[in-house]
Amino acid sequence: MANLSIPSIRERLFNTSRHEQSTQRNSNPFAASTFKGNVLTADVFESSTKQSQPAFTGKLKASALVGSISGIGEKFQNIINSVVGFGIRIKEGWNRLKNIEISFDPMKNKMVSAYNSAKEIMTTPISEVFSSGISAKQVAKMEDMAEARTLLQDNVALWESVA
Amino acid sequence: MTDRKIVKNVTNIIEGLGQNPNSESITILEDIGTNSKVDAIRELTSRALVKRNEHDSLKVVITNKGKGINDMSTVVAMSTINELLSLEDKTEALNVLTDTVEMHSDEEVRDNARSVKALMALS
Repeated sequence: MANLSIPSIRERLFNTSRHEQSTQRNSNPFAASTFKGNVLTADVFESSTKQSQPAFTGKLKASALVGSISGIGEKFQNIINSVVGFGIRIKEGWNRLKNIEISFDPMKNKMVSAYNSAKEIMTTPISEVFSSGISAKQVAKMEDMAEARTLLQDNVALWESVA
Repeated sequence: MTDRKIVKNVTNIIEGLGQNPNSESITILEDIGTNSKVDAIRELTSRALVKRNEHDSLKVVITNKGKGINDMSTVVAMSTINELLSLEDKTEALNVLTDTVEMHSDEEVRDNARSVKALMALS
């Protein structure tokens, strides 16, 4: 029951701060206004930093996972066995190759000449490789000087005829 | 217009003969190359003989009237002189030039050799 005596009314009129109720402050901007007299003390706004963490606690899920893994063991064993077998075969082949010696002379000579011709092509200018003309290298190695003389004579004559 | 293939062939043959170790190649170059009526062939031959940098090959382009530095074509003569000046080892060329200046019978050849020798001494 409210005290409606004159002194009490006067005190309430002139000393208002004494009767004011304290209001709890938090992050809720509506907390101050209250809803029908009930202050919302809990923070109703979801924090942006809050992360959802899926829980893996169900027994059903765990058993399903174990069941799927248990079938893999045999397959793994098979794969490992085939890999080991392949490795053994490779090793045997390698050992056999190591013991083979190239003792067939014509083959050896063929390989050497192929290497030499490849080396010569690599050191020849590209324009000389594709042109069907006479290369300076060929003439520099010529031993038959009569042939060299004829070669120069014929080509000079050709040039002079069109000059 | 001269066929490019002919030019390439002649250039390669002359270059190859210049590198051929057989001394007969110098005679071939002198007989055919330096006596050609085409200036370009004479020029190529003279340069190949200078590059060879041997006593006999240098003698062809220094001591002969109408060949190498004594060619009637200025282009051929200048090209030969230029090749002589480009030699790394000029010892043999200077020896041939000195002999020519001192002993050659033709005055024009002697004068040319003297001029080239002076140029080589300066370079």
